[in-house]
Amino acid sequence: MRDVETSEYVVRFSFWARFQHAAIILLFGVLLLTGMPQKWPYAEASRWVIERLGGIFVARWLHRAAGIAFSGLLVAHLAIAIAGVMSRRTQPSMLLSRKDFRDAIDNLRYYVGYAETPPPFGRFDYRQKFEYWGLIFGALIMAASGFILFFPILLSRVLPAELIPAAKVMHSAEAMLAFLIILIWHMAGAHLTPESFPMDTSIFTGKIRKDKLRREHPLEYDDLFGKQ
Amino acid sequence: MKQRRVLFGCGIGLAAALVVGLLAGAASSQSLPESVSYCLTCHDDKQLSLTLKDRSVMSLYVNSREFAQSVHGSQLICTDCHARYDQNHPSGATFPSKRAYVTAAYETCKKCHFDTYTRTLESVHYELLKGGLDAAPVCTDCHGAHNIQNPHAKRAMVSRSCATCHVKVYEKYARSVHGKALVEEGNQDVPACADCHTHHQIQQPGTTRFRLGSPDICIRCHGDQPLMSKYGISTTVAQTYLADFHGVTASLTRGASPAHQQVVVTCVDCHGAHDIASPRLKGKEAMKAAAAATCAKCHKGASPDFPAAWLSHYEPSLRHAPLVFLVDLFYRIFIPFVVIGLVLHVLLHVYRMSAGR
Repeated sequence: MRDVETSEYVVRFSFWARFQHAAIILLFGVLLLTGMPQKWPYAEASRWVIERLGGIFVARWLHRAAGIAFSGLLVAHLAIAIAGVMSRRTQPSMLLSRKDFRDAIDNLRYYVGYAETPPPFGRFDYRQKFEYWGLIFGALIMAASGFILFFPILLSRVLPAELIPAAKVMHSAEAMLAFLIILIWHMAGAHLTPESFPMDTSIFTGKIRKDKLRREHPLEYDDLFGKQ
Repeated sequence: MKQRRVLFGCGIGLAAALVVGLLAGAASSQSLPESVSYCLTCHDDKQLSLTLKDRSVMSLYVNSREFAQSVHGSQLICTDCHARYDQNHPSGATFPSKRAYVTAAYETCKKCHFDTYTRTLESVHYELLKGGLDAAPVCTDCHGAHNIQNPHAKRAMVSRSCATCHVKVYEKYARSVHGKALVEEGNQDVPACADCHTHHQIQQPGTTRFRLGSPDICIRCHGDQPLMSKYGISTTVAQTYLADFHGVTASLTRGASPAHQQVVVTCVDCHGAHDIASPRLKGKEAMKAAAAATCAKCHKGASPDFPAAWLSHYEPSLRHAPLVFLVDLFYRIFIPFVVIGLVLHVLLHVYRMSAGR
């Protein structure tokens, strides 16, 4: 049985999910490359990057284009996710429940040695849900503040203009937070953790090895194959 | 033979000048060197003049008193500058015009002031002179000839010499917060023309390069804490500009096209250049209206409230821009909180993975 499981795969991600992940890598990369030099304009590295891109005006338009695409992706994601759940075609597997908070505590207990085993996780564990919701709320903040900075004149006609510098601070700080979460949390969870090192490939291939699924998402495994 | 006599005269003159300089310090007309006095036997005459080729009359009168009180009075004798002249010098009118004489004669300054002279060769004024504009200024037009004063001590005088040609600009400047302080109060802290435009290597101020460099000029004084505290002016004006959208644009223009670089907003776009007024004297409402008009120049359709997008050089605080301050404060606490939490979680995970095996 074991030997079969290590060579058998289960479909984990749809094409749409894999496409979104690839698009985010590209867009997040462009946004960081064109945005970070604007956050630290006095660093020589920033000047170097901006110069190679063809100047600050080109860099800003690249940033806006990537921002528009990112916002479009966010809207499409939310629309498809909500429609899927409403029509009962997909499970709301990313929704937070009380179990996730319990899992977090139980998992920490396991880490420090108060429990023998980690709690059994479902399709997505609380660490993955944290990153997902962080990305959703982060993207909403980035898109909202980004469009304020994109259309400051329009905004000042309907709302207090002080929102513009506030949006600038927010855009810059939230970007920093997003970058740090990807750097620390995503790197640790998807690359550096001993279970997946050097890289968890399922978001690219769309499939997961059966034994890995059983180990990391036992409740989902039970749902798919029945309790053993 | 003649030449040797001139050299001899020069030697005597220099020695005399040295002695006079050492003994008297500040020279008076009575203590001028003998060789100078000798020239003055003729040139102290107000009627002494010369008719040039274009029939114009050039006065040859030298005010001995002015010369003695000038910076060169105790250092130089006549033939140091007027090298071709000795006691038997010709009186022929060999120059086509008075201006032709001036533009030829000023070359003598470079004998001592060579570094300064070479800098003038890179200036917009020399460009014009080379292009055939006779009126373009040479050394003596700004500094004078026999009455040269120390330009560092007489800054108002230097600025007035610019006014000879740049009348309109000078009038604007003289009414500005800087000009008033210099002209009316003799304040030595405020910039005179040359402090912003440089002295000798004066560049065309309309160029993109000058425009992009202009904040550096303002920051030289407005970033100087001891100087600004004398007048109760905050030195954060520079940082707040540089941290803002426009300041970031200005500092990241490398690699951008010239057309793009030309639209970068610098200090002068809001404050003006020669007609800078004190925002404190203008009053809050007037400043607001002026700012709105300035913004609308580029931001078509900007509402009167739009300038509130710019914090008027204030650092965000609970008093000024509380919203900006609070958003910033939130992230200052939230980011370390999240990051430390995540790092601890990752470390615990690694700890269990390595210890639990």
